[in-house]
Amino acid sequence: MAERISDVIPTAHPIPRATAGGTGWAAQQRRAFLAGLLPALVVLAVITLAPAVYLLVTSLTPLNLALPEQTTWNFSRPWRNYAELLQDERFSNSVWVQVRLSLFTVVLQILAGLGVALMLNGRSRVLEAIRTTFLIPMVLPPIVVAIIWKVLYSPDISPLHRVLAFIGLPIPSLITSPQLALWAIAIADVWEWFPFTMLMILAALQMMPEEPLEAARIDGAGAWQLFVWVVLPLLRPTILVAALFRLVDSIKAFPLIFVLTNGGPGSVTEVTNYYAYIQAFNFSYLGFASAITVVMVAGVFLLSALIIKMVGKEVEVE
Amino acid sequence: MSSASLTLPRGRGRRRLGPTRVLYFAGVGALLLVVVFPFLWLLQMSLRPEIEMFSSAIFVWPTLDNYLALRSGQFPRNFWNSTVSSVASTVLSLLIGVPAAYALSRARFRAERHIELWILATRMAPPIAFTIPFFLAYRYLEMLDTVQGLVVIYMTFNLSLVIWMMRIFFDSIPRALEEAAWIDGGSVWGSFFRVTLPLSAPGLAATAIFCFLFSWNDFFYALILTRTQAMTAPVAVVNFMQYQGWEWGKIAAGGTLVMLPVVIFSLLVRNYLVRGLTAGGIKG
Repeated sequence: MAERISDVIPTAHPIPRATAGGTGWAAQQRRAFLAGLLPALVVLAVITLAPAVYLLVTSLTPLNLALPEQTTWNFSRPWRNYAELLQDERFSNSVWVQVRLSLFTVVLQILAGLGVALMLNGRSRVLEAIRTTFLIPMVLPPIVVAIIWKVLYSPDISPLHRVLAFIGLPIPSLITSPQLALWAIAIADVWEWFPFTMLMILAALQMMPEEPLEAARIDGAGAWQLFVWVVLPLLRPTILVAALFRLVDSIKAFPLIFVLTNGGPGSVTEVTNYYAYIQAFNFSYLGFASAITVVMVAGVFLLSALIIKMVGKEVEVE
Repeated sequence: MSSASLTLPRGRGRRRLGPTRVLYFAGVGALLLVVVFPFLWLLQMSLRPEIEMFSSAIFVWPTLDNYLALRSGQFPRNFWNSTVSSVASTVLSLLIGVPAAYALSRARFRAERHIELWILATRMAPPIAFTIPFFLAYRYLEMLDTVQGLVVIYMTFNLSLVIWMMRIFFDSIPRALEEAAWIDGGSVWGSFFRVTLPLSAPGLAATAIFCFLFSWNDFFYALILTRTQAMTAPVAVVNFMQYQGWEWGKIAAGGTLVMLPVVIFSLLVRNYLVRGLTAGGIKG
C-alpha cells in the first residue's frame, strides 16, 4: 500500500515529462482525487462521527424522555450512569448471556461451516447448485429467519413439535423454558449464519495452492493427515477472519431475540444490545442506555483489537 | 472422516458408488433438508387457508387468500416504503462513495489509515449506537417516521460498504489503461468514467445489490425510527404478531413477500454475491 502513488506514476509507464509538467500536473491530479474523497468524508462525519460524539455526551446525562426538562443536557453528575452500570445486576447478567451466546454460536458456525465447505468443495455443477442453495439462510432477511424459527418453536403450529408428538416424544416449548431458551436462539443463529463461514472457507479452499497438497500426497499422506497438517494450517487465517466477523456481528443480535423470546423468560436471553434497547425505548432512559451502548461499543473494539493483535500477522498474509 | 478426502477431488477420477459415496450423499441430502425445510415451510404456510393453519393435514388445496388479505391494509404502503428507502439510500451511497473509493484506491492520503479505521469502526458498532443519537436528533428535526430519515440512517452502513467494497474492486483493475488516457490528456475523472468505471461494472452491480439488500433487510432502525407513515414491510410483518390472535396466514404471506425479492436477487447474482461477501478474503 505504501508504494501506491509510485505505482501510478513513475515506474511501469513513465509519463513523458512534457505532458506531466512536473509538480503542476501531480498537484492537479491530487486535487482531483481529493475532490472525489471529500464529499464522502463530510457525509461520513455528519452521519457517523457526530452521532458517536452525541452518544458519548448523552451518556453523561440522566436523559429521560419522561422528564425532559430536568434531564436534558444535565451534566451535574456526569459519571452517574457509569457508576450505576457497575452496580446493575441486569447489566452484568446481559454481558454473561452475550458471552455464552457468542461463544456457542461462533464455535458452532465455524465447525459447521468448515464441515459443510469440505463436503461441498468440488467443481461439479451439482455441487455448485447445492452450494447456492446453502446460501439461503444467510441471504434471508433476518426478520424472516426470526419468523421461520418462531413457527418452528411454537408448539401449536410447529411441524417439529407435531412430528415429535406423533412419534411419542413430545417436547415442551423451547423458547419459554428458562434453561433452553438461549440455546434455542443459538440454534436459529447458527442456522442463519453458518453459510457465511462456509462461504469464506470455500473461497479459501478453491484458492488453495496445489503444490503443498501434491507434495504431501507424494509423501504418502492419507486424507486425514492431509487435512490436519496441510489443509487446516492453510485455512487458519480464513477461519480466524470469519470467526472475528461472526463474533463482532453476534453482538448485534436483535431480530431473533425480539421475535422469539423478547429477552425472556425473565432475562435469560437478554443480551446487552437488547438490554440497551429496552432501557432506551421501553423505559425512555436514553442517558443510561447510551452509557450501556458506550460500554458495549468499547468492549467490541477492545475485543477486536485484541484478536487482531493476536492473529494479525496471519491475517495480513491473507 | 471421509469428507476430508472429498476436499481434494482433483486427481481422483473414480466415480464408483461405494458405501462412502452413499454415506456422503445421504449426509448432503440431510443437510439440504435442514437448510431448505424451514424456508419452504413458511412458503407453504402462506398458501394455506386460515382454517387449515393448525390442522395436521399435510396437503391442502393452496389458496392466495393470505396474500389477498394483505392488499387491503397498510401493507402495500409499507412495501413501498421499504422499496423507496432502500433504492434511495443505495443510489446516494453509490454517488458519494464510488468517487471516494476510487480516490482511496489510486492516490495516497495522509489520513488514509484513519479513514480505514473509522469505516471499520462503523461496521463493527452495533446499530443501537447510531439509533439513540439519530432518534434524539430526528425528534428534534421532526424526521421521525419519515422515509428520508430512513434513507439517511441506512447510509451509515451503505456508504462505508461502498467505499470498502469498491476500493477492492478498483484495486484489482490495472492502472495501465488509465495512465494511457492520462497521457492522451484526459483528466483524472474523465478517464475514470470512460475507462475504469465500465471495467468495474460487475463490482458496481454487486455493491449496489448489497446496499439494497442490507437496507431492505433492516428491521431495527425502522422499528425505532418509524411509527405508521414510514413503516417498512419487515416491521409491518412483525406487527401482525402483536395484535390479538396471531394472524399466522398474514405473517407467512407478508414474510414471503419480504424475502422473495431478496432470494431471487441473491440467486440471480450469486456469483457476485460470493465474491462480494468475501471481499478482502479473495481478491476482487
